[in-house]
Amino acid sequence: MALGISGYGVSIPRFRIRKEDYTKAWGSFAAAGVNEKSVTGFDEDMLTLATKVSRRALESVPLPPAQVSRLAFASTSAPYTEKLLSGTILTGLGIPNETFASDHTTSTRAGTEAMIAGFEHLAANPSGRALVAVADAPTASMWDSIEHGMGAGAVAFVLSQDDVLAELEGHASYASEHFGERFRPREEERLHDLNVKKFSEGSFVTNTTKAASALLKKLGRKPEDYAHAVFQQPDARAPASVAGKLGFQDPQLATGMVSAFLGDLGAASAPMGLAAAFDASKTGDRILVVSYGSGAGSDALSFRMVGERRSAVSVAQEAARKEYIDYVQYLKLKGAIK
Amino acid sequence: MAHVSVPMYWRTIPQRYRLVGHKCRKCGNVNFPPKGVCKYCSASSDFEEVQLSGRGKVHTFTLIGAGGAPPEFAEQEKAGGSYPVTIVELEEGPKVIGQMADVNPKDVRIGMPVRAEMRRIYSEEGVIRYGFKFVPATEGA
Repeated sequence: MALGISGYGVSIPRFRIRKEDYTKAWGSFAAAGVNEKSVTGFDEDMLTLATKVSRRALESVPLPPAQVSRLAFASTSAPYTEKLLSGTILTGLGIPNETFASDHTTSTRAGTEAMIAGFEHLAANPSGRALVAVADAPTASMWDSIEHGMGAGAVAFVLSQDDVLAELEGHASYASEHFGERFRPREEERLHDLNVKKFSEGSFVTNTTKAASALLKKLGRKPEDYAHAVFQQPDARAPASVAGKLGFQDPQLATGMVSAFLGDLGAASAPMGLAAAFDASKTGDRILVVSYGSGAGSDALSFRMVGERRSAVSVAQEAARKEYIDYVQYLKLKGAIK
Repeated sequence: MAHVSVPMYWRTIPQRYRLVGHKCRKCGNVNFPPKGVCKYCSASSDFEEVQLSGRGKVHTFTLIGAGGAPPEFAEQEKAGGSYPVTIVELEEGPKVIGQMADVNPKDVRIGMPVRAEMRRIYSEEGVIRYGFKFVPATEGA
């Protein structure tokens, strides 16, 4: 039996702000290649979004919540900094209280970290069912240019060894010590970035290429074996730098390039790109997913499509369901005007 | 503010987060929210817990605008403008009251299909109070 993903679900909050609104307010827009981005509503947070996508993912299989044996939640922007977060999702769905539930936070790598935790559970419990919910809406000071690209979105996957639509071929990781890029000291309310661009890019490229090339080597694969390649998207230009180094071409990146219309989805960035690739894939297609979190670390996962069952709601459908807001409405929704 | 203490809120979490109702073992009707005595037959306190689908239709609705919102929803009204409050007739029968989200208030109609999902209702003493709101039922969602 193959270990893999047997269902998925996505959700994108319906508000959008365009890059032109930033240019009007600040004179510039710092997120390269991002045309518009998603914004959470007043009554949404990462736990409500995670609950929603989890339900969609379970229904896509379908799998009753009572059969979930492992729950992993990931976000860098959860509503509490201390308190079990996954307990809210578990309760909101009716997943058994005995299910091992874990929270993955503090890095935009958290999404793939939660996926790997789910796969490790299945490796040890072949008849288990893992639910991985990733929701993120990274937030920084409105005065910081890293804020410009920050969007919102959520993705969930059901992992099992049974009836999979995408088989996990393998995964590899790389972790290292880097600093000055996207960090939040304990006493601070907002993210910092020292804006040492070259240094940050170096960390991004090093960690992601090391994880990805280790995986390709382990599997004996070449870039051209992949129909789709999804990389972490702090903006819509960043993936090209890594892809170029590894030997991937632009058409392989296109399917998963969700940041152009959703912005930087933080921990949900690579997972949302993966969901978009699932929406578009044919049986036999290979997909490479590479995440990145400052600090720094990267996970690479390789999937092979073995089925064509889609989620009932696609990334494109969710992206099309939108309502534009202006910059003042944005500030109100973000709680930037108190 | 309509104060609901933390323990009191906690006891009602299954109904607030995911619409767990009570099916009367005597008359078979579904009580939501759960009651001490069945509101349909008034003759039984013997219930079976049932998970409601959260699906239903707008039975009637109103819009809450500036100045009309209770204090716990005043900030929401200021940030997002007027919001719809609906009475929804659930598939399983009960009529329940709840806010509607993810919709332009002008687009709410009697009879429109909706589905419940968990949202932030308000926050008190730093504790986020989650509960259900209704959203338009889109295909598959």
